[in-house]
Amino acid sequence: MQVSLSRRWQKIFSGRGAQGWVYLAVFALLALFPLIAGLTIGNPQAASEGAGFFEGLLQRAESGYAKFWQGMLIQMLILSIFAMSYDILLGYTGILSFGHAMFFGTGGYAIAILIGQHFNWPFFQALGAVVVIAVLQSLIFGILSLRVKGVYLTMVTLAFAEMFFILAEAGDFRQYTGADDGLHGFPVPAYLSATEHRTRFYYLALILFVLVFLAARRLINSPTGRVMIATRDNENRAMMIGFNTFWYKLIAFVAAGVFAALAGALSALFNVSVTPATLTTFRTIDALAMTIIGGVGTLIGPILGAGIIQLLGYWLERWFGANWTLIYGIIFMLIVVFLPYGIVGTLRRRSFGWKAGWARWKQLLTGKAAPG
Amino acid sequence: MTGFLRNNRTILLTLVFLLGMIAFTFQGLEPKVGMSILLSGITLAALFFLIASGLSLIFGLMDVLNFAHGVIFVLGAFVGLSTLMNPRLLFNTLPFFLSAAGGVAIARHLGTPLWQRVNTERGRKILWWSLLVLAFALLAFGLRRFPIRTLNAFSITTVGGAVPTALAQEPLGLMIQRVAFLFLAGLPFGLAVAPRELRQENRRAALWKSIAITLGLLVSAFAILLLRDPGEQFILGLSVDWRFLLALTAGTLAGMLAGAGIEIVLIRPFYGNPVTQLVLTLGLMIAGTDLIEAVWGEESHPPMEPPSWFNGACRSDSLIAWFSEHCRSIDVLGRAFPTYRLFIIFVGIAIFIGVGILLKRTRLGMIIRAGVQDSEMVQALGINVRQVFTLVFALGSGLAALGGVIAAPFLGVFSGMGQIFILQAFIAVVIGGMGSYTGAAIGTLILGLARAYGDHFVAAGIDLPFLANTIKGSPAIARASTVLIMAIVLLVRPAGIFGKKE
Repeated sequence: MQVSLSRRWQKIFSGRGAQGWVYLAVFALLALFPLIAGLTIGNPQAASEGAGFFEGLLQRAESGYAKFWQGMLIQMLILSIFAMSYDILLGYTGILSFGHAMFFGTGGYAIAILIGQHFNWPFFQALGAVVVIAVLQSLIFGILSLRVKGVYLTMVTLAFAEMFFILAEAGDFRQYTGADDGLHGFPVPAYLSATEHRTRFYYLALILFVLVFLAARRLINSPTGRVMIATRDNENRAMMIGFNTFWYKLIAFVAAGVFAALAGALSALFNVSVTPATLTTFRTIDALAMTIIGGVGTLIGPILGAGIIQLLGYWLERWFGANWTLIYGIIFMLIVVFLPYGIVGTLRRRSFGWKAGWARWKQLLTGKAAPG
Repeated sequence: MTGFLRNNRTILLTLVFLLGMIAFTFQGLEPKVGMSILLSGITLAALFFLIASGLSLIFGLMDVLNFAHGVIFVLGAFVGLSTLMNPRLLFNTLPFFLSAAGGVAIARHLGTPLWQRVNTERGRKILWWSLLVLAFALLAFGLRRFPIRTLNAFSITTVGGAVPTALAQEPLGLMIQRVAFLFLAGLPFGLAVAPRELRQENRRAALWKSIAITLGLLVSAFAILLLRDPGEQFILGLSVDWRFLLALTAGTLAGMLAGAGIEIVLIRPFYGNPVTQLVLTLGLMIAGTDLIEAVWGEESHPPMEPPSWFNGACRSDSLIAWFSEHCRSIDVLGRAFPTYRLFIIFVGIAIFIGVGILLKRTRLGMIIRAGVQDSEMVQALGINVRQVFTLVFALGSGLAALGGVIAAPFLGVFSGMGQIFILQAFIAVVIGGMGSYTGAAIGTLILGLARAYGDHFVAAGIDLPFLANTIKGSPAIARASTVLIMAIVLLVRPAGIFGKKE
């Protein structure tokens, strides 16, 4: 019984054998994080008198640094979902989209507007609507932009996202979108308030994160996902075998769009605000950077990348002030040069890109033509 | 005749369509309003074209989607602004670049025997690293506490750019010391990047050439340094026309050098890997904007002073009258139109024709066009395509930087101006078909006109047949409309109007 259960878990989590336990351990660590944080960096005075150990721990987790770091982790989880959804496109289907922020931002705006004063929808109904909107949006723009290929697709998606950004910023819909101020302080249900119940929100984000991870994994390991990968590797061959690659690319587009919209909605709920900034190209570039740093074509990579970028942004901003993006850009370029497959990709290949990276630059500087 | 029509079917159809659209929109407008919108649209198109043409050439030849192009545009604008208002920054930083380049030039020549002495892989590695560390240490030591922000502090406060003499300049001795250190930093770097093997060439002549280059660079570096005060006064004493010409030259050159540098360091090692190249230019876009803000500050500057030819406080009746009066605006069908915008249009058309001739009539242009079709084949024919790549990258970047300088008196100078333009340029290039030079021109024309008419109609309102009220919107709607145009064009022709079919 025990054995079969573990096999099953392994199958769910990795599909590749022993690594499943690593995933389980990481998820367990993430699940226990609020308690650990409460124990170590929470404010000991926050626990009320007469509370039991566990209860006190939860109260401590809602205080001081423990609360702050839970917030950081929530943002990492949200960004991870966003980056994973991007990797479904870039890493598994080979679609370089520059408009992924479109889904993220629209998800945020959709939930904010629907639970806001104009519609006053119940929360779960609004969440369902977010999914429906995301499906429709990704279907429409997927069908439109998948007509073109390669760089054209990149530019088309970029332009579509820019259109949404401009419309969100436009004064014409101020009563709904708040124009360039964005929407703030919409009525998030009290039981989900991230300021009051940080730990609860953390678990919500974690559950959503795990669900998206499993769903993405299931999608990629399914026959559909295999066709997507085949499309990425050689679209003509996939078509020759008899697959209509358009549909598979569309499926990837829709899946990625829905996951990104969920991440956007969660982000809006966490911050209790959405601004047009969530729709800018920089948001997409964030996802791209996370995916590339972590490793394109892996699911763990984007998660790792999201964590790294969130931490890097936090520390760099503390150290360098307003111009931190300069350092960020340089670090980003160095990673791209020296770890061409990202962290996870490089680890999987067990061959570090350092040598190749230097070799390329040295060859260039010494004037010899690079091979290939 | 029929052959001509058939060969140029696309462009003729597009032009007819454009003319039809213009004629159609003229119907509902007074002629003077329609004309000034048309001219505004073409002004925008000329600015877009200066960016889009470079983007299109670079993409066509090298398949690189250059996101850093907007940063080059901003760089051009800022270098132009510095030259015009306060050349102190240039006088104080140019010697650094020159002396470092001199060091690299001579050491690159002397380094080869050194590398030949060191035979083991390990020894070479150690040598390489120690040289590099030495170079960076010298660089950091030479540049420590260099007050770059105070060098251009004046250009913001004083309108017209009169800088008080000998104020807050670093002492000459310290500057000479810095220049010397940069030369020293160039030496180990040159040694590190020296060729590992002796080449089949005339060694002695090459040595003299290197020495001459180094000496020339050093002499000019010190000359600039010694002449910084009189030079600054001389430039600021010049009339605004000459300073504007200088600004154009300096901005374009800066853009070309930056473009060549980007190509050599970031793009060249990664040919055949377009995603990496794209991501690297993205990183450069992120870092470059901040670098410009670090040097020039985050303040946005008011529009630069245009040349006196476009600045007279009067209104000319016609172009011929303008030639003698040099008025700020000109009478177009009874409505004033700024003459500087006519100048922008003129530059746009001149560049379009000039680069067009370069592409169609010269040997270099022939190589570029051949390279756009099949660069491997051109390489196989014995032409150094990599050099051409660098050249085209520099050319495209130079055009963008020129656009930045030209745009500065029209829009003002701020670090975010590149991002506004780069997206529109991308859209224009996609509409026209990536890699097509004519396509870039037509695409920018469509886009510029669409923006101008869109702005007008959104503000004035549109009467749709089935609606009682006029629809009004904000300029944002007009901005978004360009995307719609692109979507429509791509639905009809997935590779753009002039794009190659797959």
